[in-house]
Amino acid sequence: MLKDIIRKEIVETITSPKFVFTFLLCAVLILLSVYTGITNYSSERKEFNAAVALNKKNLESQPSYQALAGLGTKINRPPQVLSAIASGVDEAVGRVATVNVAYDPNLVDSKYESNPVFSVFGALDLTFIVKIVLSLFAILFTYDAIVGEKERGTLKLTLSNKVPRDRLILGKVIGGYISLLIPLIIPLILSLLILMVYPDIHLTGGDWGRLLLMFLVFFLYLSVFFTLGLFVSARTNKSSTSFLILLFIWVVFVTVIPKVSVMAAAQIKPIPSVHEITSKKDAFLQQVQGGAQKKVMDWVKENSPKPGEDQKAFQDKFKKFLEDYQQDLTSQIDANNAALERDYQAKKRAQQNLAINLSRISPASALTFSTMSLARTGLDENQRFLDSIRAYKPIFTKWANAKMMSNIDFTGGGATAKVVLDDMPLHSFENESLSKSLARTIPDVVLMAVLIIVFFVGAYVSFLKYDVR
Amino acid sequence: MLETQNLTKIYEDGRLAVDHLTMKVEPGEIFCMFGANGAGKTTTINLFLNFIPPTEGTALIEGIDVVREPLRSKEYVSFVSENVMLYGNFTAIQNLDYFTKLAGKRGLTKADYAAVLQSVGLQKDAYDARSKTYSKGMRQKLGLAIAIIKDAPNVILDEPTSGLDPKSGQEFLKLLTAMRDKGKSVLISTHDIFRAKLIADRVGFMKNGKLGLLMTRKELEGKDLTELYVQYMDERD
Ligand SMILES: Nc1ncnc2c1ncn2[C@@H]1O[C@H](COP(=O)(O)OP(=O)(O)O)[C@@H](O)[C@H]1O
Ligand SMILES: [Mg+2]
Repeated sequence: MLKDIIRKEIVETITSPKFVFTFLLCAVLILLSVYTGITNYSSERKEFNAAVALNKKNLESQPSYQALAGLGTKINRPPQVLSAIASGVDEAVGRVATVNVAYDPNLVDSKYESNPVFSVFGALDLTFIVKIVLSLFAILFTYDAIVGEKERGTLKLTLSNKVPRDRLILGKVIGGYISLLIPLIIPLILSLLILMVYPDIHLTGGDWGRLLLMFLVFFLYLSVFFTLGLFVSARTNKSSTSFLILLFIWVVFVTVIPKVSVMAAAQIKPIPSVHEITSKKDAFLQQVQGGAQKKVMDWVKENSPKPGEDQKAFQDKFKKFLEDYQQDLTSQIDANNAALERDYQAKKRAQQNLAINLSRISPASALTFSTMSLARTGLDENQRFLDSIRAYKPIFTKWANAKMMSNIDFTGGGATAKVVLDDMPLHSFENESLSKSLARTIPDVVLMAVLIIVFFVGAYVSFLKYDVR
Repeated sequence: MLETQNLTKIYEDGRLAVDHLTMKVEPGEIFCMFGANGAGKTTTINLFLNFIPPTEGTALIEGIDVVREPLRSKEYVSFVSENVMLYGNFTAIQNLDYFTKLAGKRGLTKADYAAVLQSVGLQKDAYDARSKTYSKGMRQKLGLAIAIIKDAPNVILDEPTSGLDPKSGQEFLKLLTAMRDKGKSVLISTHDIFRAKLIADRVGFMKNGKLGLLMTRKELEGKDLTELYVQYMDERD
């Protein structure tokens, strides 16, 4: 009997106009997004390769190590192949950092910076399609699953037979889920095929693993809305009411919670503005300088030579004192600045983590975070890349300085040594391991699983007590 | 056999819809339950099918208490509801096939379904049309076909003839008498006195959840049922 119920559920759905419409739209959107994702990636890959080559040529053409050290080397962020599926923060964060002896390196020149119109619409990646469009379909497939049968009187007719209610709801869940999966799986398989045959795309075994995990997360996410739809459908007496309630919850999940979390985190854990930091730095500088004048005067008062003492010795001593003191002040200021910066970064991270954790109640955020982690296009991965560049800076600086020293031209105006890059240390970056990415997605996956269980049990229990009249 | 003992339903809002009802529909008998809108007919039927719990008393199908053994009791009853829409994307055959399987009957062929559909008078070109294109009368016929094919010893029908044209109504009644002649207990709730009178073996008038003025076919002979109905309804309790 369960089989009959499941089969009826599937046949009834896939012969409906609703299904045909959904199927076509799903196919078009999924294939389109995967295709644009792939072409995007492949053009970024080309850009990346060109930029790397250009950088090398640039360095080689420098007239001296001095010039090279000042100009620095450019580190380009390699595009992630899975950004074709989940672009994450890829388009919003910088793609290139300059490492030279002078400044702290930072990633700049994001896609949004170079073309702000992208930021208006955001990326149309598969994650976006799943998050917005497919979740709506899940609702569309379930909002009247139970209340609709009541309205048509078929629930009464069904239950006038020897049909246990638990069997009926189980059959509806299984059958309904299969009919929801059909319009998803076919385009998804097609898009996997595109990924396989597209010439510029080379997925490693690990990438395939990540990809499958991402698909798993997609299904989890859609299951949340599927079970939610059933739940609401089993708690309402009119399908229009059910639909409105579901739409409301959808809006809250998909847009309200993520936005409010960011705002709430900013309120709860405010971070100082850049101006505040600058003025704090300035204040410390002034304080130190003010103190310095006094200290120098004191020193002079104390140590100034009595009449008849050696003026020359005093001058040397004073010079030595000034030098040491200057050094001391510089390191004090540096230490203070570094502390302020550390504090700022820590606060920023705390706020960011709070925002992420708050918004995680929403399955839409959970979906975003987990797929970003799996695609290696998340905030953490970007931070790790930036850290690797910052770690590279002293290595590069040391090498550049050594080269400058050993090639100092004492003859004054002769030919300078030609730049040779053979022994230049290269920046290297290890992609995050799958187990680490996976560990980061656990809270999101657990959250979605909990929601699914709660909604499913809710639907189940509600249906056992549902008023079928 | 369909039977109630002291069956009472008071809704959550305090309305007494069925009031200590005791009645019986014997095998081979058509019992017509008359009554105005709101008299408690549908409530009685919902109690038989265990769609709502009784406040007091019991309803029995083939002697089985429908509250104690709801699933088993439903093996022995066919139900035709007042206005069933069925599965609109399904054809008559598909609807029939699904509900036949739910009723636990297997191995029926398309020809069997077509035969039943023909017997209820559904036009042939509708067999394979989606049922959402049906008129109310056509749906009613399909509903009856579902009940017939289940072939349970008890049949409960809620306002079955409302929405049927005169000819269809006539045919409908014939099918009900055929069921009776096969020894089934048939309970019909209706306010269609004209038609019911033609086939009823016994009638009862329901008012405020009470069944009164029970009469057999013999007792009815030569009496004007409409007159009785109006009189009974006008009587003060
Ligand atoms: N769910 C309900 N809650 C409260 N009162 C109800 C409910 N369903 C029916 N009633 C009331 O019970 C009475 C009997 O209704 P019903 O059995 O549907 O009458 P009939 O089928 O004879 O027209 C009516 O007064 C109706 O208003
Ligand atoms: Mg009624």
